[in-house]
Amino acid sequence: MASSILIKNEARLGLKLVAPAIGIIGLLVIYPIFFNVYLSFFDVQLNGSKTFIGLDNYSDLLANPRYYHSIGVSIIYLLGTVIGTTVLGLAAAVLMNQEFHFRNIARGLILLPYFAPVISVVFGWQFIFDPVNGIYNHVVVDVLHLTDTRENLIGNPDSALFVVILFDIWKHFPIAYLLLLAKLQSVPKDLYEAAAIDGQNAWGRFWHVTLPELKFVIATVVLLRIIWNLNRFEDVYLLAPNVETLPIFTYYQAFAGIVDQGGAAAISVIQLLVLVGLIWLYVRKVLKW
Amino acid sequence: MMMNKRTPIQSVILYTLVISLVLFCVFPFLQILSTSLKHPIDWGNPSLIPRVLHLDAYKELLGLMPAKEIDVPASVQRLLDNPALSAEKKQMLLDKFTSNDEVFAFGRYMLNTFTISFVTGIVSTFLASLAAYAIARLRFPAQSLMANGVLFVYMVGGVLLMVPLYQMSVTVGLASSASGTILSLFLIYLIQTLPVAMYMLGNYFRTIPFSLEEAAMMDGCSRVEAFWRIILPLSKPMLFTVFIYCFVIAWNEYLFASVFLKQYQDFQTLPLALQTLFTSKNAIWDRIMAASMLTLLPVIICFMLANKHLSGGLTDGGVKG
Amino acid sequence: MSSVILRNVNKSYGNLPIVKNLNLEVKDGEFVVLVGPSGCGKSTTLRMVAGLEDITQGDIQIGDRAINDLPPHKRNIAMVFQNYALYPHMSVRENIVFGLKKSGADAETIKTKLADVSEMLKLDEYLDRKPADLSGGQRQRVAMGRALARDADVYLFDEPLSNLDAKLRHHMRTEIARIQHQYNMTAIYVTHDQIEAMTLGDRVVVMRDGIVEQVGSPMEIYLQPANTFVATFIGSPAMNLFEAKVDGEELVFDKYRIPATSIANVDLNVLASHDTVLVGIRPDFFEDSALSLQRSPSDNLFAFDDIQVDLVENLGFDKEIMFTLGGENAKARLDLRSHVQRQETISLSVDLNRVLLFDTSTQGMLINAGEV
Repeated sequence: MASSILIKNEARLGLKLVAPAIGIIGLLVIYPIFFNVYLSFFDVQLNGSKTFIGLDNYSDLLANPRYYHSIGVSIIYLLGTVIGTTVLGLAAAVLMNQEFHFRNIARGLILLPYFAPVISVVFGWQFIFDPVNGIYNHVVVDVLHLTDTRENLIGNPDSALFVVILFDIWKHFPIAYLLLLAKLQSVPKDLYEAAAIDGQNAWGRFWHVTLPELKFVIATVVLLRIIWNLNRFEDVYLLAPNVETLPIFTYYQAFAGIVDQGGAAAISVIQLLVLVGLIWLYVRKVLKW
Repeated sequence: MMMNKRTPIQSVILYTLVISLVLFCVFPFLQILSTSLKHPIDWGNPSLIPRVLHLDAYKELLGLMPAKEIDVPASVQRLLDNPALSAEKKQMLLDKFTSNDEVFAFGRYMLNTFTISFVTGIVSTFLASLAAYAIARLRFPAQSLMANGVLFVYMVGGVLLMVPLYQMSVTVGLASSASGTILSLFLIYLIQTLPVAMYMLGNYFRTIPFSLEEAAMMDGCSRVEAFWRIILPLSKPMLFTVFIYCFVIAWNEYLFASVFLKQYQDFQTLPLALQTLFTSKNAIWDRIMAASMLTLLPVIICFMLANKHLSGGLTDGGVKG
Repeated sequence: MSSVILRNVNKSYGNLPIVKNLNLEVKDGEFVVLVGPSGCGKSTTLRMVAGLEDITQGDIQIGDRAINDLPPHKRNIAMVFQNYALYPHMSVRENIVFGLKKSGADAETIKTKLADVSEMLKLDEYLDRKPADLSGGQRQRVAMGRALARDADVYLFDEPLSNLDAKLRHHMRTEIARIQHQYNMTAIYVTHDQIEAMTLGDRVVVMRDGIVEQVGSPMEIYLQPANTFVATFIGSPAMNLFEAKVDGEELVFDKYRIPATSIANVDLNVLASHDTVLVGIRPDFFEDSALSLQRSPSDNLFAFDDIQVDLVENLGFDKEIMFTLGGENAKARLDLRSHVQRQETISLSVDLNRVLLFDTSTQGMLINAGEV
């Protein structure tokens, strides 16, 4: 069946329209992904000079305790942020689905953290946890007398991790909230009425009606949060550069101290494989729902 | 359930929860605003309300402070008075004492950031609208591959590409000049925004009835004219939303800015400059907070304007966050 | 205005044929209605004429231009869409003149056309509104106006009334008929509604499964359907079909023996080659025998006696009665003079000139039922 001129014209127009965008994405995303694999077999300098070293980058990496440490940090970060944003997002969605005065204002206000640029809020958070002036130490030491010493939570990598998690929850729960609220609003009212007639109290209705309805959206939120947070850089680095999640470890390898761009490429290759697995899961499971 | 009359206790619980949640969300903003308006002696004061309103930080950032008297040592003054010295030399000497090291060039960084974010937003929205339209509406080879590819690319973060992208720009020679560096950065911002923009716009275009374009074609419009005269005008709110989204991604970007712009201080963007200011010894809370406030303001205004469509667009689009 | 010629037109999606070898000539100034159940290929045919679907095989010609490879916007066609497809961001006025402006009409022409159209469709007071502020009926009129304002070679209508309620649909049907006569436009009109097809078309094209079953004037289609599909698709309630044995010169079913010789234009030789035939009788052609007594015997009436009435539906002037005949559920439409009651046993007469015979296996019409 010969395709007609009209079909050919449409195809030609289509290709013309996608060409710039796809060209740029191909050149600056797809090509670099493969270039990255290539670079991971070289000792690469900042000025671009390369020496082939085979799998040394990988073996060095797998022998580097800092790498395992950053994987550990990343896992804690992912667990904390994913659970935190999902639970808070769900709570906020249920809360904002109730009727009360000034609901629209409240709904708008809780979106603020998500919309605010990272750079313009991290210093506010720094200040809150500042050992000298911060409200956190004021409350803990002077008001509640939980401890005598003012602590620099962000200065210490171990405690800073929890500040970073809290910050991420604060900043990103609104997106979980938005997705969940949208679904919540589409749950048919008669389901609740039926459950109420069956004698379920509020908690029972939440457990037996709301949660099952939200199951898939919750799964979507969880998977998307993992995918995005695996790559998250700014939110961690700008607030507490001493918290070494994988992206930050990669950044230090590539651009700070003893530069090891090939090593950084190797980390990225491994991380990309994990990511592709997660994306595959997302496409196969979530988008099919 | 929602319609039932609440008992007073339930009401109290509900409002307490709502107020706590809202406070949790806005407290850091209040903290920033408050500190930016406080005099240094007031920082330790846990109250959010400044004892004295202190606007110096804003004045300084916005260049409203009176120029400082140039304090020139007597020895140098004598040199300057020497008529044998050329005017050029004199100026050079003077510059040494008036160098802007201490002054944070907020206006310049703001302008840099605004320019690159604005250009990124415009170009990305434009290119994405073309591509998204084609993918959503036209039939051509590899169309579904591209549609799925966008989703994939959308989820590959910049962090994974920082080494190859940096190496590419070094290899091509872009990293060795200021203009090349800025071009590299702009291209990188494009790829960070294009997939999201394409995804959001593609989903939006699919909601526009196909028959509108068909009607336009019946009315004598070519496919391109139908897109230009019917689809784009209809998509204005979404285009605006996508523009804002792209603008903010570029406005926020720190990673690549730090990699590429480190040695080009004049071209630094706000995130980079603020971070540098913060880590420098003369970190001064009121200035940083005022700068944060000023960085925040345009974004908040944009989102207030786009909020209505944004919430929908984000949830429809699967969402980067 | 121009004629439209479709020659051996085929359309398939992959291996799935949608339109099969379609031939049709729409004459200059003719109003042709494509009718058929959903999925019969009527809309696809219309969209091929418009250029919104490409033609897998065959040719389409408007006037003397071959248009196969012409993009839609160069075909000079106006179209009314089922969902109206009004431009939401333009006022009614802008919607109506959009195509005119595009075609480069001068300001004077645009003004006159707009005035004409808005007067004819009574749109004057809505011109500055946006489509979102109009009712369904008003939107439909704007969609009509947008097409009519154009000086197109051909006007296409894709189920334009199917989204209106019954009363409005009837009103707009009359309007379209009036406008068509006034403009004398070449039009192709797609509908699944047989009443629209009958009332609007100069000619009606009945389609099924991508095949044209019959082309003809509304009365030809009604009185001489080419096969049982057309016979039952057009006309409401649908035509009754009874399977009858051919016994010499008589057609036998149930306890009735119909003299085949009395059926108009019957060819006894053809009949002799069949064991059985399908006898088609429209519900409208039954009469209550009690009321047909005044007719003379030469009227060629046949009476089905001992009909047990199962149900009577009073529709006002008409009443539909349901009964069993030849083992089939059958319907008859009687007028208000008849006082038939449920469970009553009555006699129904039919004018044998109106009775049709179909081939049991091919379902095709067996005889020419004579003059229309």
